[in-house]
Amino acid sequence: MNLLTLYRIIDKNKNKEERRNPSFDSNRVVKFLGYFMVVYFAAFFVFLGVMFPAMFREIVPGMEPYHIMNQGFAYLLMLDFLSRFLYPSLSKDMKPYLLLPVRKSQLVSAFLLRTGLRLMNLMWMFIFVPFAALTLFKFFGIGGILMYLIGIWLLIVMNSLWYQLCRTLIAESPWAYFLPVAVFAVLLLAEFALPGLPISRFTMELGEGFIMGEAWAFAAVLAGIALFYVANLALYGKYLYLELSRHNDTQVKHVREYRFLEKFGEVGEYLKLELKLDTRNKVPRNQLVMGLIFMIGFTAAIAYTNIYDGFMTHYICVYNFAVFAVMNLGQIMSFEGNYIDGLMTRKESVYSLICAKYYLNLIVLVIPFLMFLVPVFNGKMTLLMIVSLMTFTAGFVMWMILQLTAFNKTTVPLNVTMTRSKKTNSLPQMIVVMGAFGLPLLIESGLKVLFGTDGAFIAMLLIGLGFIISHRWWLKRIYRRFMKRRYENMESFRACR
Amino acid sequence: MTITINNLKKCFGSKVAVDIDNYEVHSGDLLGLVGNNGAGKTTLFRCILDLLKADEGSVMINEFCVSETEEWKHFTGSHIDEGFLIDYLTPEEYFDLLGKFYGLTKEVIAERLTKFERFMGGEIMGQKKYIRNFSAGNKQKIGIVSALLHHPQLVILDEPFNFLDPSSQSIIKHLLKEYNQETGATILVSSHNLNHTVDICPRIALMESGKIIRDIQNIEGSAEKELEDYFNVE
Repeated sequence: MNLLTLYRIIDKNKNKEERRNPSFDSNRVVKFLGYFMVVYFAAFFVFLGVMFPAMFREIVPGMEPYHIMNQGFAYLLMLDFLSRFLYPSLSKDMKPYLLLPVRKSQLVSAFLLRTGLRLMNLMWMFIFVPFAALTLFKFFGIGGILMYLIGIWLLIVMNSLWYQLCRTLIAESPWAYFLPVAVFAVLLLAEFALPGLPISRFTMELGEGFIMGEAWAFAAVLAGIALFYVANLALYGKYLYLELSRHNDTQVKHVREYRFLEKFGEVGEYLKLELKLDTRNKVPRNQLVMGLIFMIGFTAAIAYTNIYDGFMTHYICVYNFAVFAVMNLGQIMSFEGNYIDGLMTRKESVYSLICAKYYLNLIVLVIPFLMFLVPVFNGKMTLLMIVSLMTFTAGFVMWMILQLTAFNKTTVPLNVTMTRSKKTNSLPQMIVVMGAFGLPLLIESGLKVLFGTDGAFIAMLLIGLGFIISHRWWLKRIYRRFMKRRYENMESFRACR
Repeated sequence: MTITINNLKKCFGSKVAVDIDNYEVHSGDLLGLVGNNGAGKTTLFRCILDLLKADEGSVMINEFCVSETEEWKHFTGSHIDEGFLIDYLTPEEYFDLLGKFYGLTKEVIAERLTKFERFMGGEIMGQKKYIRNFSAGNKQKIGIVSALLHHPQLVILDEPFNFLDPSSQSIIKHLLKEYNQETGATILVSSHNLNHTVDICPRIALMESGKIIRDIQNIEGSAEKELEDYFNVE
């Protein structure tokens, strides 16, 4: 079987997998929103593509606009890389194909081909097509435009493979986030520390090379694509075997028991279970570390630098308190979907489970609180503000996120990352995430109008306290709602295990 | 524990998975459930355990309707498949966790596990392995032990002989029979293995297309011929 046939078969099956997912119907709204965003950004990009030529001529009159645009390729690629974290990831379910008479390298190549050929890679064309038509046509004609667009598309394909490489490494260890950060830092350092802005100069010449149809320019990008393809292939090959052989924990050296939690009764037992879930399974562990990295990173940026000041200080304060809970509780029950039958045959076990999850996330709030004490001492924010926002998160925001207990119904594999990846974004999750980051600011703004700054923070503190004090009552209500929807959810958990 | 099934119906699309008018499993029964693939055995078990919503009818365990209260969960032990196991725990941790939920002390758990030592064959306890890293047979053993650990008055096991080696199959047969006789617990076991079912179950229900078509009293293996005829076993 040749690669293209295999690619077509896999692509067809992946589309079926998506359509036949139990959450497909409820995800239609998410899909619609996704398409709406694509149309919105496409229109915005076309607008930019039309505006840039005139804008560049005005800013730098002595240069052709496409030269200026080409100087920004490196930044474009960085932006493209970051924006990929927002796209839904492609399914990597390779297991069903592994025993078929297909070479593993061919199988991985077919999956990489999907990455390279996905329509999202054409998104930037909404800027470059009008831009090229307005700036290149009079000098280089249709041929020049076509070569330029092909060159840029190849650059984006190369970037998608670079992103895929990073995602694979990140799935194995969240510390791999530092790889793209380090690469971008080196590029920026080279650009600004060395004389003559070498990166911009190189990308300008590369763009010129595309337009002129020069072989070296295309060869350079194709070499980049080949390099990332081979790297991806090697990485997949390595991790695929490791994952299939499950070598990493067949013999555990030290079994951590967390016995100190036993005094808290059944909830304590679930706290132990939660800690074991987060530390013994690759996917939850990576999520946890990512949550902590984001939280500590942004808090440190506020605490020790002047990068974020003014409104951003405020927003990031809200974000930092909520981010861990959003990442940790946003998928509540999805990991438990793997053993939901066992939980459901024991009385009220899910109630104790959500209590344990709530308490654990409350404890984690202490980390950003302690870190925010530094900017409090530096006078960047007030103690009242951080106490108020922390209490509000512990009460109102957690209440909102925990509603997902009743609505999440897609099982997320605990350890499998290379051969499987599930799309778990659902409408309730999107609403809750937006609410967790947006509502505190909206409520705070409204309260400020009514009571002034300090009054608003005191009001938020009181609202948060109200939710904390009544947590047993509303957790019980969430549990009841979960029990009402249990059959539907259990069927869905089983169906996508 | 008495299980009373009233007009129970469960469909998946146009396929009727379970359709039972009235059926009663008496307290202390050791009932074998047999039938071809797709006959509805697992679906019936899931309905009894409130893991599936019945389209019509109800299941009562003693006076408790399973879909309306959770009280029956205290005295019920069950294992259907791997979806019951929390596989990132070691077997010791898993048994310990279950014991806590049923109010058992560590000493009691340890004492109860000694009865399963032969069944576990020295391959489960003390291995420093998470459940996910055990073989299918050993996972099955962990599931069966966890279903019996808290001495439930109602035991439901779906295909308990699957994945087990012949000696473990023999041991679990004896364990279930002994448990039934000693505690008077009601036990429901489904199996494709007619010999094992006939060996241990005094009562056998034969399922076909969601219905219990025969309720066979099995006195000293008398059901064997009837079942072999039904399944065309030569």
